[in-house]
Amino acid sequence: MVLSQPPAAIAAQTSAIAVRSLRKRYGAVEALKGIDFAVQPGEIFGLIGPDGAGKTTTFQILAGVMESTSGEVNVLGTAPRNARLDLGYVTQKFSLYADLSIEENMRYSAGLRQVEGAEFESRARSLLQRVDLDRFRDRLAGQLSGGMKQKLALCCALVARPQVLLLDEPTTGVDPVSRREFWDLLAAVAAEGVTVVAATPYLDEAERCHRIALIYAGEIQQIGTVQELRDNLGLRRMEVRAESLDEAERALSQVQGTESPLFKGAATAGDPSDSIASEAIPPAPPGKGGGLNRGTERPLSKGAATAGDASAIVDIQTFGDRLDVMVTDAERGDQQIRAVLAQHDIALKDLRQDEPTLENVFVNQLRQQGLDPAYLEFPAYRSGKEKGGRAIDTHRLQKTFGSFQAVKGVDITVRYGEIYGLLGANGAGKTTTIKMLCGLLPASGGEIELAGQTSDLNRSEVRSRIGYMSQKFTLYDDLTILQNLEFYCGVYGVPKKLRREKIDWVLETCGLAGRENLTTGSLPGGWKQRVSFGASVMHEPDILFLDEPTSGVDPLARRQFWRLIRDFARRGTAILVTTHYLEEAENCNTMAFMVAGVIVAQGSPSGIKTSQPGQLIELVSGQTQAASDFLKERLEPWRVAIFGDRLHLVLDHPERELDEIHRWLAEADIEVQSARPIPFSLEDAFIGIVQRAEGA
Amino acid sequence: MPLPTSRFWSLTLKEIRQILKNRQIIFLLLFPPTVQLLIFGLALNPAVDHLSLGIVDYGNSPSSREFVAALVANDVFEVQSFQPSVGALGQQVRRGQVSTGLVIPPDFGDRLAAGKSVDVQVLIDGVDANTAGIAGGYMQQIINSYGQNLARGSGMRPEVPVEVSAQFLYNPGLLSSWFFVPGVIGVVLTLTGSLVSSTTVIREKDTGTLEQLLMTPAQGWEILGAKIAPLFVVLMGDVLLASAIARLVFGLPFRGNYFLFLALSGVYVFVCISIGILLATISRTQQQVVLTSFFFNVPLIQLSGAIAPIESMPAFFRTLSFFDPLRHYVTIARSLILKGVGIGALLPEVFTLVAFAVLLLGISVNRFRAQLN
Repeated sequence: MVLSQPPAAIAAQTSAIAVRSLRKRYGAVEALKGIDFAVQPGEIFGLIGPDGAGKTTTFQILAGVMESTSGEVNVLGTAPRNARLDLGYVTQKFSLYADLSIEENMRYSAGLRQVEGAEFESRARSLLQRVDLDRFRDRLAGQLSGGMKQKLALCCALVARPQVLLLDEPTTGVDPVSRREFWDLLAAVAAEGVTVVAATPYLDEAERCHRIALIYAGEIQQIGTVQELRDNLGLRRMEVRAESLDEAERALSQVQGTESPLFKGAATAGDPSDSIASEAIPPAPPGKGGGLNRGTERPLSKGAATAGDASAIVDIQTFGDRLDVMVTDAERGDQQIRAVLAQHDIALKDLRQDEPTLENVFVNQLRQQGLDPAYLEFPAYRSGKEKGGRAIDTHRLQKTFGSFQAVKGVDITVRYGEIYGLLGANGAGKTTTIKMLCGLLPASGGEIELAGQTSDLNRSEVRSRIGYMSQKFTLYDDLTILQNLEFYCGVYGVPKKLRREKIDWVLETCGLAGRENLTTGSLPGGWKQRVSFGASVMHEPDILFLDEPTSGVDPLARRQFWRLIRDFARRGTAILVTTHYLEEAENCNTMAFMVAGVIVAQGSPSGIKTSQPGQLIELVSGQTQAASDFLKERLEPWRVAIFGDRLHLVLDHPERELDEIHRWLAEADIEVQSARPIPFSLEDAFIGIVQRAEGA
Repeated sequence: MPLPTSRFWSLTLKEIRQILKNRQIIFLLLFPPTVQLLIFGLALNPAVDHLSLGIVDYGNSPSSREFVAALVANDVFEVQSFQPSVGALGQQVRRGQVSTGLVIPPDFGDRLAAGKSVDVQVLIDGVDANTAGIAGGYMQQIINSYGQNLARGSGMRPEVPVEVSAQFLYNPGLLSSWFFVPGVIGVVLTLTGSLVSSTTVIREKDTGTLEQLLMTPAQGWEILGAKIAPLFVVLMGDVLLASAIARLVFGLPFRGNYFLFLALSGVYVFVCISIGILLATISRTQQQVVLTSFFFNVPLIQLSGAIAPIESMPAFFRTLSFFDPLRHYVTIARSLILKGVGIGALLPEVFTLVAFAVLLLGISVNRFRAQLN
């Protein structure tokens, strides 16, 4: 279903990449079921889909490192294998030499493609400056943080002047500031004519693509510009901020209608995969075992149908501190939301209407495909700790590696039943802090109290009450999923009679029931994360450490993750979590922002947001990238950040400064469609706090 | 409370499943030991024969030709060429065309006929010192016995009145493979055992699962014990494989109690696994562990007496070799396979091996938890 034909002028040129009825089969599994797309020179083309949709397979074929089963793939007018010298390929795995410095890594990549001498010097300098790595040219790649490594990997790919750049989720696990630098650089090289094909789990990033293909289960469902995808959804978005989001969601979901225009459209388009969906009228088919997808409170489709006929509300999506309610008509939606909330005595703080975001489109699409992961309550047998008691307490915690002080006196208190978020840029010391708390690394100074113990944190009894999920995949790739789960059950001493039930819970929650004998290594990254999470909670820990649990996981699965995390907290588990999805961090009760080993801000999400200086202005422009580049030169860089296709500005005196900004932009020939004050999100707060602290 | 045995069993089951899925390990366990045993047993032979001989026969008499025939009779020497002069012969030795040269003086036949002694000149290429020594010895022996035969034939008293008659014990055929194969069994166990065990430990570090493992309630000794148990079983399979090859291919006698041999090999397998695990705990990557194991294994083999006799080492290295566990195992293996002694004769070696196993494993368990720093 191709929604957008490229303009005639572009179509006349030869495409940089052309893919026709591409298929790939791994044994009995068909990873790609015949996909078609073309990418024009200088275009940023996004490949967006849930975990296991076939994105990585597509990239590997485009890069010429894997053969297709059938179909035509044309890169720069030839087979991918022959175009390799003009291809840059960056993946989630770091493709750098850890024992070489930044400079040497760059020189090596350039040397392979014969970019040398003065050309190398000037190109390397300008690339490194753009992503703020120029200061560390002599540092070894192995000593860089994850975000810096990925920026360097991109620079290494770019220094060789590729014509096509393939990026397979390169920003997974990268902090919001580095991610923006990464995409600013991408936008700049695309403007120079480099063709970019990128996959990303961050849908705000995806909005910076020129065109996007939504891919599910090996098939491209839609291709178009962000605007076209939004228009095609045919819905308006109502941003709801209310006193109690949970209650608001529950109340609104009771009046939710069942039909979306897109849903009908898809069915009439005769797409075979949709014929099944069109029979399944409820947007989210009930999960196995009686639990409904989005909570037991939601009525069955029959009950909703009566309300649904007249209802404007099509879908409700939770976004941290707000609900996005998809409505067929803004005015009717507005009235309905106000009425429903008033009826349930829920105070409405803010209600505004806007265009849907790409994430709205994506989540809506996935739900219609029945991909909303099943929510099943965890089979809990232990009575948890009493809430409120101190689970983790540190005082002046320090860690020094050689002459490098990674953690400089951190005070953290996490109570049972609390979700504590540790946020910060890559390399700020979050993982080191967690490892010290777990007893994996000895602290260089300070005190730790863990589950009432102040010494001997390594004791087996202490560890048996702790759950830990590290950034790296923590499963044995060579064992099957079932064998992995059996192993973790056994090693944590889960009673034999409960094992089957807990393992089944993990499998069903991950949507892997019936596939438990797959080799774990063959799973896509996002699914491994889900199984890892399951493996780390089966023994019902009192204290749970989650180091970027949701990185690389698709939006629906992330929501499911957080729902489970909240459940554990409700039962009294103390949870310490790190994440780079700031919108998720709204689920935390308390959070701390770390910069360079120091906690620079600590408090509740709302406390942190209200303590931000200045006023946030959202600027809508047809040339967001140009406006951002332009304003960053005039304002302090931390005041300007791209959010999707919008620009966020932090202004101290908007009434005065806004006029001036309008004038500047007009002089630079950058049109401004609108500029309005909006409340701070945690991501705005993060960018401001981190960049101000680093600048200081 | 769950029993600790359930934890240990889960760990062991996981290790067994991983070993069974890992074709590389199964290959490592079967192929290299077989090939190493066959190569060392068949190719490594210190006996010297078919030495090329160049001759300058100034005598050119029947007796000198008879002398040459006596020299080459047992195939130790093989006449390569006859040269006209000592100069030409010297040239040939220099060029490596012949490794030994023999110069027979013009009056050879006359002096023998007159019952006088004769001096013959022998040139030996000394570059390969071992072969040169052996060649010299042979030459001396052959000439001596030729002289004795002459003396007997002429009715005179032999110049050497005493004849030595040596009897070789345990290896009556003096088959070199009997000497090498027991040593090579030790070498094979050392190489395979340390490599396979270090791989299974370092792999956890490489993939990051070690961190997760250390966060579980499992104790260091449980984790290591679970790794050792299945490895021990498969390496004992290697011992069976190696002894089968020794028995069937090389016909080694296995005079001692075979079960005693298995038991003591088991102790040594423990030592090998401990070496591998210790190497893995002090290394950070797979590459590092392979390189360090080279650094340790080569001296371990050289000092053990498995291939080169310890008696021929300088005093310092002879002492050093006592700290080589392989030396003790090689002694045990040779004693049991060839001599058929009982455990009583081997107690010092057995105690040393047990001490090695305890020491190495103790260090590994202690270091295991601290290795992520």
